Amino acid sequence: MPSRRRTLLKVIILGDSGVGKTSLMNQYVNRKFSNQYKATIGADFLTKEVQFEDRLFTLQIWDTAGQERFQSLGVAFYRGADCCVLVYDVNSMKSFDNLNNWREEFLIQASPSDPENFPFVVLGNKIDVDSGNSRVVSEKKARAWCASKGNIPYFETSAKEGINVEEAFQCIAKNALKSGEEEEIYLPDTIDVASSSQQRSTGCEC
Amino acid sequence: MISDVAQDEEKWLAAGIAGLQQNAFYMHRALDSNNLRDALKYSAQMLSELRTSKLSPHKYYELYMRAFDELRKLEMFFKEEARRGCSIIDLYELVQHAGNILPRLYLLCTVGSVYIKSKEAPAKDVLKDLVEMCRGIQHPLRGLFLRSYLSQVSRDKLPDIGSEYEGDADTVTDAVEFVLQNFTEMNKLWVRMQHQLQYHPIFILTRLALCLENVHFASLGSCLPLWCYSACESFILLADPVLRLAIGLSGLQGPARDKEKREKERSELRDLVGKNLHVLSQIEGIDLDMYKDGVLPRVLEQVVNCKDELAQFYLMDCIIQVFPDEYHLQTLDVLLGACPLLEPSVDIKTVLSQLMERLSNYAASSTEVLPEFLQVEAFSKLSNAIGKGSCVKKLSGKGKITDSKATKQIVALLSAPLEKYNDIVTALKLSNYPHVMEYLDNETNKVMSTVIIQSIMKNKTCISTSDKVEALFELVKGLVKDLDGTLHDEIDEDDFKEEQNSVSRLIQMLYNEDPVEMFKVICTVKKHILTGGPKRLPFTVPPLVFSCLKLVRQLQGQEENPFGDETSTTPKKIFQLLNQTIEALSIVPAPELSLQLYLQCAEAANDCDLEPVAYEFFTQAYILYEEEISDSKAQVTAIHLIIGTLQRMHVFGVENRDTLTHKATGYSAKLLKKPDQCRAVYACSHLFWVDDQENMKDGERVLLCLKRALRIANAAQQMTNATRGSTGSVTLFVEILNKYLYFFEKGNPQITISTIQGLIELITTEMQSDSTTPDPAADAFFASTLRYIQFQKQKGGAVGEKYEPIKV
Repeated sequence: MPSRRRTLLKVIILGDSGVGKTSLMNQYVNRKFSNQYKATIGADFLTKEVQFEDRLFTLQIWDTAGQERFQSLGVAFYRGADCCVLVYDVNSMKSFDNLNNWREEFLIQASPSDPENFPFVVLGNKIDVDSGNSRVVSEKKARAWCASKGNIPYFETSAKEGINVEEAFQCIAKNALKSGEEEEIYLPDTIDVASSSQQRSTGCEC
Repeated sequence: MISDVAQDEEKWLAAGIAGLQQNAFYMHRALDSNNLRDALKYSAQMLSELRTSKLSPHKYYELYMRAFDELRKLEMFFKEEARRGCSIIDLYELVQHAGNILPRLYLLCTVGSVYIKSKEAPAKDVLKDLVEMCRGIQHPLRGLFLRSYLSQVSRDKLPDIGSEYEGDADTVTDAVEFVLQNFTEMNKLWVRMQHQLQYHPIFILTRLALCLENVHFASLGSCLPLWCYSACESFILLADPVLRLAIGLSGLQGPARDKEKREKERSELRDLVGKNLHVLSQIEGIDLDMYKDGVLPRVLEQVVNCKDELAQFYLMDCIIQVFPDEYHLQTLDVLLGACPLLEPSVDIKTVLSQLMERLSNYAASSTEVLPEFLQVEAFSKLSNAIGKGSCVKKLSGKGKITDSKATKQIVALLSAPLEKYNDIVTALKLSNYPHVMEYLDNETNKVMSTVIIQSIMKNKTCISTSDKVEALFELVKGLVKDLDGTLHDEIDEDDFKEEQNSVSRLIQMLYNEDPVEMFKVICTVKKHILTGGPKRLPFTVPPLVFSCLKLVRQLQGQEENPFGDETSTTPKKIFQLLNQTIEALSIVPAPELSLQLYLQCAEAANDCDLEPVAYEFFTQAYILYEEEISDSKAQVTAIHLIIGTLQRMHVFGVENRDTLTHKATGYSAKLLKKPDQCRAVYACSHLFWVDDQENMKDGERVLLCLKRALRIANAAQQMTNATRGSTGSVTLFVEILNKYLYFFEKGNPQITISTIQGLIELITTEMQSDSTTPDPAADAFFASTLRYIQFQKQKGGAVGEKYEPIKV
């Protein structure tokens, strides 16, 4: 079987509404930040080329709607993810508490082949807010949770100031690459090179 | 039946995936061997799986995602081809030879994305071509997904400002045009799902005729006859036996079930349409002006014109959620202006409450944004929107509050500035704030008024000018007076008291140390509270009276009237105002409360040396006593207040004083119960003996009072004897004895040792009498009194000598 070299890495960003998923992606991909809150509808990705161990990869970063009502089509785009990024806002306990739901929901829906070892990365965002005075989730608490879920790498970030964003995505890319997720290997039942007509292709050929 | 449908769908999906995978396999092989022709052939066959009509949106999305992933590999191959020097323009033409239109357009979008990336043509031209081409798919489900694919692959290639695909001066407009066009087309497809039997035979036949005449391929820049594509598409559908069957069946099934199914499917697809708005919101080049003048009106035009309930409700929600708060604030009139134009069945209430939730969060987010709210007159605009047409009905129900969520939203929005700035003063500057409240139903208005007052209390905000007070009362008028349509019997008595107590506390918070301004404040308060009606005045008049009296005391501390002219604030003026105010309260009627306030004023007038004023207040109090207070208990309370106040008055000349004292003793002697009479009469004795005033020491009249009290006590006891067969308590006698001792000690020459001695003996005898009802309290009282005498005797000195002769 000829195998094409893996060059595309798919990353899904999940987390509650307003924790800064879109902002993190925009900061990483475009080096831009806006303070304005704009809800995300559905799911949509940006790509970024990353160099890793002398090879060039395309990181396909999927930003998702944190508000459930803007996820009407479901989560079929989880399929084939190489890494899942869980984001919470260090100034919101609820967004931290919900990480578990996001993680479990992802594992159920994406059903990776080895859920135990599927790579997650957790980001505690908005550390810049109010110089950290309004922070309610301590780093210790977040790290303890990450440790309990199989040593998930953890970063404290600020999409606004660009703090740790590059580092976090380096780690995300590295873990996506190491991910055991192989593409489904498809073997046709019969290889009929001669036949070019398809039964299913009916109708107008205009 | 339903599970059958689900099973069938699973089967179709599995078949679709299998077909897709098989072709993808050959496509991969072709890609690995750099065989472009085969790669295109198999990718087109792979994409043909997306022509299915058997899948629900959810399942179709699964299939689409798989095709989507495969197309990324093809895209990378195209990129490599382009790098290797293959002409991307040729490639763009080449993919259009694919036999079926749907695969062809997916391939075209994929190459188009690489084409833009190669920068061999301006992004805007390629995008324009692609978005036009996609009109070829008129099947709603397929069209929506195809356009969503276009939207995704072009997402990072819009000629936005600062983007590497930035074009000429109008570059942002090009980006916006593209997204708007795609949005509009998608919305049309989406709406059509609901309203059209999708494939009407006449529609298909007419298109078919045209189709047969025109068969040629699209190329960049050429304007393709779009109906050709539509017709092909329709023709394909007609040829599909399953679909024909479905058309036939849909005529037989209940239209309700059909509608429900369509609505469910549409609901699943909504985010494909809404995502365009998200893309718009991410275009950096859209500044406020552009949003205001171009983007928003265009989006709203589409929303309004589509006349579809589901679309309108959802898209309004999207607009509110995806665009930033400051844009909403600056375009409120445009956004709100669209609300009345929506279908009557659209739930505007929820739409508006989402907007208000965002705005109230925004208002509370930073101290810097409030001026923005002011500047744009956000409140008046909201008020207009709420007030107009159907909105007002929806917000306030049928004149009564029915939707507590909407109420909460409004209250939250209006409270936000108060909570943020800890200062009602800022909110009072919001000239339109009261207008908003005007449109609230009465119940909400009251809640809001209470919130405002609580904010003032919590922050101890001082409202210090009459203008502010005017504005404040305008705000809280829901509590200050009856609003139209309020039905009294519906109001809970306790709630009402609670509300009015808060108003009364509020009045105490209004203060200015400058007497002139403070007087204006008082006049304003008076003006408003007098409109409150009989139920409110008993709560609101007393705090106003005490505010006035505070001001009087302040002025009285000043040596001379600092203003000197006629227009200035003088105690006299204040007393005039007080007189009118209390008079209004007395008419309610509330005689007991009014009497107390008159007496307070009389005392204040006394301190200002204003004899006629003080006399007038007493007169008013007396009139109330005579004409309005008929309850015995109330009379007793009132008479003691009168005596106590009168005793402290020093302003009166002999004549006035005699008149008032005479009346007071007269009232005392006419009380109904003997013990009450007795106590009031002995209390009157104090009216003739004031310690620090030498001209007010009339020992004889003191004695007269005490003797009279004794007679009444005697009569009381005899009455008890007559009616109950036993002598009553000696308490009254002990009380009178104490009065004797008091005046004896004060040096009243009329009170002699022998009278005191006689009284002690009288009491002792009475207590030993068999017919006397035992009264331990009276016994103890008497014993204490005697102990006091003993104690004074033992003191020695002048006091000891004075008491010495009394034998105990």
